Order: sequence, then C-alpha cells, then structure tokens
Amino acid sequence: MKRRKVLFIHLSQIRLLAKKFAIVILFLTAFVMMLINKTDTVIIEKTSSMATDIVSPVIDVLVIPARALSGVYDYFRELRTIREDNQRLREENRRLENVENRARALEIENKLLSELLNYTPPPEASYLSARIIAEEGDGFSHSIIIYTGGDKPVKKGQVVLSDRGVIGRIDRVGKLYSKVILITDINSKIPVMVERTRVRGILSGDNTSVPKMVFIPLSAELTVGDRIVTSGVAGTFPPGLPIGKISSIDKGAVKIKPFGNLDRLEYVKIVDYGLDDIFYENGSERADGTE
Amino acid sequence: MSEEWSENLTQYLQRLLPLLTSVLLIFISYIPLELPFSSNVRPAVALICAFFWLLTRPDVFNLLSVYLLGLTEDIISSAPFGSNVFALLIMYVLVTNLAKYFNAKPFIIIWSGFALLAFVSFFSRWLMVSVYYSQFLPVFSVFFSFLSTVAFYPILSLINVFVQNRLMTDEV
Repeated sequence: MKRRKVLFIHLSQIRLLAKKFAIVILFLTAFVMMLINKTDTVIIEKTSSMATDIVSPVIDVLVIPARALSGVYDYFRELRTIREDNQRLREENRRLENVENRARALEIENKLLSELLNYTPPPEASYLSARIIAEEGDGFSHSIIIYTGGDKPVKKGQVVLSDRGVIGRIDRVGKLYSKVILITDINSKIPVMVERTRVRGILSGDNTSVPKMVFIPLSAELTVGDRIVTSGVAGTFPPGLPIGKISSIDKGAVKIKPFGNLDRLEYVKIVDYGLDDIFYENGSERADGTE
Repeated sequence: MSEEWSENLTQYLQRLLPLLTSVLLIFISYIPLELPFSSNVRPAVALICAFFWLLTRPDVFNLLSVYLLGLTEDIISSAPFGSNVFALLIMYVLVTNLAKYFNAKPFIIIWSGFALLAFVSFFSRWLMVSVYYSQFLPVFSVFFSFLSTVAFYPILSLINVFVQNRLMTDEV
C-alpha cells in the first residue's frame, strides 16, 4: 500500500514537472527540428513531402471557389482592354511571323553546321504542365505548391518555367503534389550569365521580389536592361533559359527583375532535360559526391 | 444514451473549433491570389489566430493547439522546419504572461498590443532564421510581412469573433 502511494506521488510530481516545463520542451523540439533540417535533410524532406501530400488536397479544394471569383474579376478586367489587346496581338503576330521565318533558316543552317562539326546535341526536353494550388510569399520564404498528378515522374531539381522564363526548381516531391522553390527564395542559387556580354555570375534569391546577381567579375560591363539567362554551369540548369533583366546596379548589388510574373502564376511547366542524375533521389548532394 | 453521446460530440467539436478555424484560415491564406502585389503581402495568419484565441478562450486553445498550428504552417511553408513553431511559441509565452493587460480593453488597445507582440515574435523568428542561414534576411521584406499581419488583424478577428459568438458556447 505504501509503495503504491510513493509511486502515485512520484508520477504526479513528474506530471507537474512536465507541465511546468512543457513550453521548454516544445521550444527544444522546435530547435531540434531546425537542427535536423540543417544537418540531415533526408528525414525532414521525406516527412515534409508526405505531409504536403496530406495537407495539399484541402487547399486544392479551397482553391476552386477562389479561382471562380478570380475568373469573374479577370473577365471584367480583360473586357476593358480587349480592343487594345487585340491591336497589340496583331502587331506581335506580324513580328513573330518574321522571327519564325528567320528561325527556320537558322535552324537549317545550324543543323548543317552541326553535322559538319560532328556535334552532339543536348538531350531533348520533355514538359509537364502543373497547376499551382498554393503560394507562399513572405519575408521568410518564397515557394509554391503544384499539383503534378501521378502520371509523369517529377524529380527534385527539375527546372520550373512560366510562359516567360525560369521561376524556380522542384524542391520536394510528393506523390501528387510538389513544392517549388522560387528564384526569389533565399535558398535559390542559379548559375547565370548576361546574354549580351556572356559575363557569368550566380543569381541569389533574398526573399525580395528582385533577386541579386553575385560573384560577378570586377571588370564586367553591365547595363540596366541587360537580359539574364541561365549559364548551364554545374549542369543543374540547361544554358540559355531566360530569367530576367537587370533592374538596377548599385555599389554592391546587381538586382534582377524576373521575366516570369511570380505574383500571377496559375500554371507552370516542369522541364525534364534528362539531368536527373545531378541530384541524389533524397539529398541535395551532387552525383559525383561533391556538394 | 444517444443524446448524451451527441452532446459529448458537440462539446468535443466546440473545443476543437478554435484550432480548426485557425487551420482553415491558414489554408485559405495560402491560396494563390493572382494579384499584382501579392508577393510578401501574405499575413501571418497563425500568429493572429494564436493571439486571438489565447486571449479570448485559453480554456480551449492551449499550448498543444499552438504547437499543432505551428507544425501545420511548417508543413506548407518552405521556411526552415520548426521556425513557425518557434514564432508561435514566442507568441504563446508573451500572451500568457501579458493577457491581464488586454482583458476587457477597447479593440484599439488589443490591436496595438497585438502589433507589439507580433513585432517581438517576427523579430525573434527573423533572428532565428538569420542564424539558420548564417546571413541576415532582408529587414524590409520581413517588416512588410509584419505590417500586413497587423493590417489583417481586424478582418481575421471579425471571423474569429463570429465563430466564438455564433458557434461556441461560453462553457465547453
């Protein structure tokens, strides 16, 4: 009987202590989660991908009425500008017809020269369209969640494009939903170059709407308005994909305004260039073992 | 027996309502707005809900609710896993210690109080995430997120007040 009492007191004391320090324990778990995220991304990645697959369908359902409302708003907004749009599109069509003719001639010329040089062309790209179901844009991260379905495999590291240019890369892959890190996110680092001068650098997101270009040679000639494209260095992104243009050049920072309007995305294209061996299935390390 | 069971279920659901409402509002906040200014505008809905429910119904919205809310945000967000939990726990500590100063006060005082506590919470998270990335996050964009959170507080409070007054009883 006595022993029972002792045990009872002991348990209640533990419970009281646990209650008292519950907040400390939960703070510690938050730190531990961040530490695990920093050191071993595999556990967090797998858990997060699984959890995203569970949570995303709920958001996907909520998107339906929001899209309907947005559609009505867009309909009336577009009605106002339909005349000007029509005029602009006719002019653009004329210009594109000329570009197409020139492109055809260049394509034939390129093919002939490639045959002469015995040149091996890069792998053919395949595309997968995906609908955006959630977007996140605050001071701490910039990402989107997309519905990819289960038909075509999506792989970590694949390039994600809007109709205007690169907007990010696949970060976490679930069965039906995937998370995309936008080029404005602080985790985004893309090897880029200035199209005109071929000066190379790294496009580094900083959680603002205009990422910066860093590691540029001191002697580089840059002007506001220069187009920035992927350089293809490191092999993660194929070269020549449009990203944005230089919006400002200050003392220490070259800011890039992305071509893809990251605020008004509805559908995106995931591009598979057959570069999937760059990433391990579950980590961010390079296939050759280097980071 | 069946009546008792149904009553218990209703009571149980009512206890969960603050958490369920908060989770639903978080989901809604992630819906793409497709507006030209939506980047960096998304308010920290979890912070608003945690502040509101901890202040008005601490009997049904407790530490565990705060933790679960933080985990939900961490799952959807691509910010470092655990950083949302951390920010909400800071808010929990602040509200539970300062609740007496907000009780039965005019809305403007509560709003100002929220702005102050949200600032501390944002600042702590900013510091924590900056340490995580080993570089300071741009202050401007974080401050902008803070401002939008403060601006959205009245609207989300209205929704929460509706849930509290219409869907919940005083004692659950």
